[in-house]
Amino acid sequence: MTSPYIKMEGIAKNFGPVQALKSVNLEIYTHEIHALLGENGAGKSTLMKILSGIYEPSAGKITIDGTEYTKLDHKIAAKLGIGIIYQELSVIDELTVLENLFIGRLPVTKTLGFQRIDWHEMRTKAAIMLLRVGLKVRLDEKVRNLSISQKQMLEIAKTLMLDARVIIMDEPTSSLTYNEVDYLFLIMNQLREDGTAIVYISHKLNEIRRICNRYTVMKDGSSVATGQITDVSNDDIVRLMVGREIQNRFRAIKESIGVESSETVFEVCNITSKDKRRVKDISFSVKRGEIMGFAGLVGSGRTEFMNCIFGVEPISAGRVKLHNEDITPSSPLDALKKGMGYITESRRENGFFDNFSIAQNIAISKSLKDGGFKGAMGLFNQDQEHALAEQQRKLLSLKCSSVEQNITELSGGNQQKVLISKWLCCEPEVIIFDEPTRGIDVGAKAEIYKVMRNLAAAGKTILMVSSELSEIMSVCDRIAIFCEGKLANILENNENISEEDIMKWALPQN
Amino acid sequence: MGATAKLKEIKMDKSKFNFQKFWDQYGTFFILAIIVAIFGSLSSEYFLKANNITQILVQSSVTVLIGMGEFFAILVAGIDLSVGAILALSGMVTAKLMLAGLDPLMAALIGGVLVGGLLGAINGCLVNWTGLHPFIITLGTNAIFRGITLVISDANSVYGFSFGFVNFFAASPLGVPVPVIFALIIAVILWFITSHTRLGRNIYALGGNKNSAFFSGIDVKFHILIVFIISGICAGLAGVVSTARLGAAEPLAGIGFETYAIASAIIGGTSFFGGKGRIVSVVVGGLIIGTINNGLNILQVQTYYQLVVMGGLIIAAVALDRLISK
Repeated sequence: MTSPYIKMEGIAKNFGPVQALKSVNLEIYTHEIHALLGENGAGKSTLMKILSGIYEPSAGKITIDGTEYTKLDHKIAAKLGIGIIYQELSVIDELTVLENLFIGRLPVTKTLGFQRIDWHEMRTKAAIMLLRVGLKVRLDEKVRNLSISQKQMLEIAKTLMLDARVIIMDEPTSSLTYNEVDYLFLIMNQLREDGTAIVYISHKLNEIRRICNRYTVMKDGSSVATGQITDVSNDDIVRLMVGREIQNRFRAIKESIGVESSETVFEVCNITSKDKRRVKDISFSVKRGEIMGFAGLVGSGRTEFMNCIFGVEPISAGRVKLHNEDITPSSPLDALKKGMGYITESRRENGFFDNFSIAQNIAISKSLKDGGFKGAMGLFNQDQEHALAEQQRKLLSLKCSSVEQNITELSGGNQQKVLISKWLCCEPEVIIFDEPTRGIDVGAKAEIYKVMRNLAAAGKTILMVSSELSEIMSVCDRIAIFCEGKLANILENNENISEEDIMKWALPQN
Repeated sequence: MGATAKLKEIKMDKSKFNFQKFWDQYGTFFILAIIVAIFGSLSSEYFLKANNITQILVQSSVTVLIGMGEFFAILVAGIDLSVGAILALSGMVTAKLMLAGLDPLMAALIGGVLVGGLLGAINGCLVNWTGLHPFIITLGTNAIFRGITLVISDANSVYGFSFGFVNFFAASPLGVPVPVIFALIIAVILWFITSHTRLGRNIYALGGNKNSAFFSGIDVKFHILIVFIISGICAGLAGVVSTARLGAAEPLAGIGFETYAIASAIIGGTSFFGGKGRIVSVVVGGLIIGTINNGLNILQVQTYYQLVVMGGLIIAAVALDRLISK
């Protein structure tokens, strides 16, 4: 093998105080498909964004085709033939196949001194490209009418239009059927023979084994291993991804309070989402004072499941029971009135109200619970709201100058505390925390964990979704692992459990 | 960044924030004052007379009524373009009922509150069922309601109903004309709803963030329905008032009034993005529109030109508000 086409050395990237990448080395050769592996949040996407010129690295150097760069920008990346295909496809549904292929760079020709689009040249070029990726669709077909697999081929064709030497694919098979995956691999093989390098990001180890030549594993912002895929077993890869050391930092928080002996409070039976695809037949039960963690890859259906049991999404089957009584909620209001609370994944999108003060944000759900018909009857009392907010402020040591401040003036951690307060006021028995520490600094994280453990100690039942394994292992009593919409296993969280044990269940088996 | 620099930044932030808050609360009053000053200086002999000021208040009462209804629709990041047609249809039904021999009070209750509320409910249900933006729904119902008005009236004015009804609205107990008292009572009720009831709080929440509202337990569709019913009732009551003032129900009454209603709400600082605004400011916004109308009349500006000036002033007023709050 000759020298690598792309060589990245010691790449680091800081976002303010957060270090997303510490030190990454990556070599990519032509004529290869290179697997990039790592847990959620290991820094794969950040690295690829640096390679495609979206982010500027804080340190390190990149050598491409013998030329050294300290940073890339969009134009250089395009000139060097680096194309990226995101998991969420970027083709535009409303345009035709032809228009999508030439978006942003329509060829022009001159007629009588006026510039006009050269449709003739476009059609010729496009036809050649579609032939190359084996996509059999009419050029004038609206992209909306294409299948996901066809859209992906179109996306590849679009990248090839730029004379791509390197194509980055981020989980391209996540929404494809088996036959479509076979077809994608056929095209990828062909591209490899033509001399294109492909960086393949995926969690599906068996697929990686089928198609890739070499691999690089990332963990916590560093590259930890690289080599020929044939030299390692799947178990080796999992071990490399999660690492040996178990972080015991927060373990101290989790103290046994004799959960084993307490009664079962909350039960979920056969919950299946309306589309019968994203959440399939989930059943488990949780005891009083227990924190149940939910691990799994992004898109494994954990949030969708929480939406189902909170009445946000309609379900096609299943029941939710509290104290052996059927409480299957028909709406969030119903869930709230029956003793549930839900701290959502995205604070800004479906958590707080940016036109409300801290006190108003805290009071809203309690007001709904107390209000009669549809939570709309009756009056609210500003003084009571204020007192309630002050009480919560002390309880959760909320840092603000006044509870009448607008919530947008708070830091992420304090906003999260406000949202926790909002539900605590309603005195729920079961509280769902979906990614409660996302976008929060380390200090605030620890505080949130403490709040959760205190709630459990006070007899609440808690369901916690998190993509950070170390967090789940430090806070939870038991760990439910989701994989492709199904509950793969439930593990007791004790000293003997390792991140590997969890990852093993979280990775799709086929 | 040093601690002092940070502190300074926070302080600066605070002073800016306070001014904005001040302007949010009282800005509309300033705009009203400026407009009064302009007309007052242009035509001091007529404009500032007590008689004329009473006249402005009476003329504004209809605008204030529909403006307050519109305020609710805009508060949930929607809009209601059908207020003018609801006004006409409610007024027409009221007149017809009185001609049929119904007691004026009953006729006004059925024609204004019931018909207005019902038409608003139709808007609300259509928005909920179709999931389309209220702009499209009310654009359609505006034409439908207007069409129905023309059908039931045969495109003729309806008059000849009880003098008691007309006289009641023409009276001025304690020197305050009845339409003004009427609008004031509705304003107080709506102010109470927005600032003291759970319903009002929920509507603000819904306007601020629909998704958060849903996840927090607010029944989004129910509240949208209520909002359009409120807007419908306000327009219906405005229909009753304008029918009484004209002494006739006109099938083409209220054409273009959605412009005035939206302008009142927006000049009153209601955010088009939803969740922000106060009923008091909207009342002042309605007064601004009424004042401009009256002032142009006094200056003997031709009706056609009035529209041109009116449109320009609306844009200028809102632009000024935005400019200052920046």
